[in-house]
Amino acid sequence: MSLLCLGIESTAHTFGASLVDDHGHVLSDVNDKYRPPIGQGIHPRKAAQHHADVAANIIGQALAIKNSGPLLPDTIAFSAGPGLGPCLRVGATVARALALYYHKPLVPVHHGVAHLDLAMLGSGFRDPLAVLVSGGHTAIAVHIQKKWRIYGETQDITLGNLIDMFARSSGLPSPGGPTIEQEARKGTKLLKLPYTVKGNDVAYSGLLTSASRMLKKGESLQDVCYSVQEVGFAMLAEAVERSLVQTRRKELLLAGGVAANNRLKEMLQQVAHEHDASFHAAELSKSGDCGLQIAWSGQLAFRSGITVKPSESHVVPRWRIDEAEVPWIPIK
Amino acid sequence: MDTNQVANSLLMHRGAEADLYLSKVGPWKAVLKKRVEKKYRQKDLDAWIRRERTLKEASMLGEARKAGVRTPSVLKLDPEEFSFTMALIPGKLARDNLDTMKPRAREGLFEDLGHQVGQLHHRGIVHGDLTTSNLIISEENIAYMIDFGLANYSLEAEDRAVDLHLLKRSIVTSHNFGTEKCFKALSKGYTASLGEREAVSVYKKASEIARRGRYFAIR
Repeated sequence: MSLLCLGIESTAHTFGASLVDDHGHVLSDVNDKYRPPIGQGIHPRKAAQHHADVAANIIGQALAIKNSGPLLPDTIAFSAGPGLGPCLRVGATVARALALYYHKPLVPVHHGVAHLDLAMLGSGFRDPLAVLVSGGHTAIAVHIQKKWRIYGETQDITLGNLIDMFARSSGLPSPGGPTIEQEARKGTKLLKLPYTVKGNDVAYSGLLTSASRMLKKGESLQDVCYSVQEVGFAMLAEAVERSLVQTRRKELLLAGGVAANNRLKEMLQQVAHEHDASFHAAELSKSGDCGLQIAWSGQLAFRSGITVKPSESHVVPRWRIDEAEVPWIPIK
Repeated sequence: MDTNQVANSLLMHRGAEADLYLSKVGPWKAVLKKRVEKKYRQKDLDAWIRRERTLKEASMLGEARKAGVRTPSVLKLDPEEFSFTMALIPGKLARDNLDTMKPRAREGLFEDLGHQVGQLHHRGIVHGDLTTSNLIISEENIAYMIDFGLANYSLEAEDRAVDLHLLKRSIVTSHNFGTEKCFKALSKGYTASLGEREAVSVYKKASEIARRGRYFAIR
């Protein structure tokens, strides 16, 4: 009988629950997204209210597997951070309650580490250079001595922020990624936007301001989207290339919500190819926030002996990825 | 620069960003640095970046020289070919040479290097990528700084501290001589040329950066 882990995701817009066994076989992955009105970002309290409203239903669905009785998980994992405080607390409260009621171990999971773990599962990689791009992270990391070490990162806003905030200011629906990618395909003119790479770090706030201004000045949405993608992604690709050469890794892993973008995938694939490294991007269904990432990362953490007492299971809204213990990598 | 010269030159080194060729200017041996095309970038953007970087590196090498820092002099600049030519410094990369040096000579080298970094910072320039891979030790055992492609104008303690931190980290992670005396010598030279007050605030920032666990270099 395999060990089942129930993972609960609740860091930002998504509330999700997933049941996965210790071989990575997915029994369920049920997610529901809070959608802010057009032109607005995530309102932490309203998102938390959404999570509280859907929690019971989502978890019920995740546990009700077809052709079997209701399954009881052996461990309960939850996203302990980083994320929006009110949202994190909903998931944590539900997880604590379940752990106490069923007398099951409670496992805290770092949301960013979980993105990487899920991408690792699909890649077969052992010890890659990891690129994590989402609303909360833009980081280039390598694993050294039980932790992901940041080799390069954004000095201001994340790539996900850049895309979402630009979409919002242009009146596009949230999340803005898919629309911007679609518009960019129709763009032809490369506008001059600030290109900021400092060592292995990037900075995107200047690019955001400049792009919004170009749009107001009358440049077409297509051309601005095209330029934002070309310039913003090229900055990251350059930082990734430097990191790849310096760390001498031969595997390049792309994970997080922005990993869904085809142009970004194409660029990083090219970088990997030029340096004889294999490339893997998280599959579309697994790149965004989901319960599955928490369930799988929870499995790995539990196997390494990481659990927390419910009375001490605080959420950590600003948990840096290089502060989380990840003893299960490199994969043997 | 005609492309013929590149074709006839000997490839010395292939980096992430540029290729280095052994070249000649008049009777002198020289090094041609050519920034190579990146296929992942949109064509116009790629050309713009390579041109800007070439101009910037050539000018920063000159600026650093004016500040009293030992750098190879720029002999030719060809932004349209994304290349420039600089004097060849006969010597070895610090990365390959530091371990075999005599301890006394090594300490002297570090004090002088500290002095040079201090002068660079005093002039308002930070190197941005100061590692033992970007230092040449000449035949007279003198350190030359190269690779100014990421250099910038800055007076911020944070930027200056990154220079010191990257240098120390590159030494700790890829060399195995006793570092304590060398770091002391480095700091002595640096403090002497930048002044006690500023040097202390840079060192404070450097240990802060080390604590953050950033810039964890493996070279």
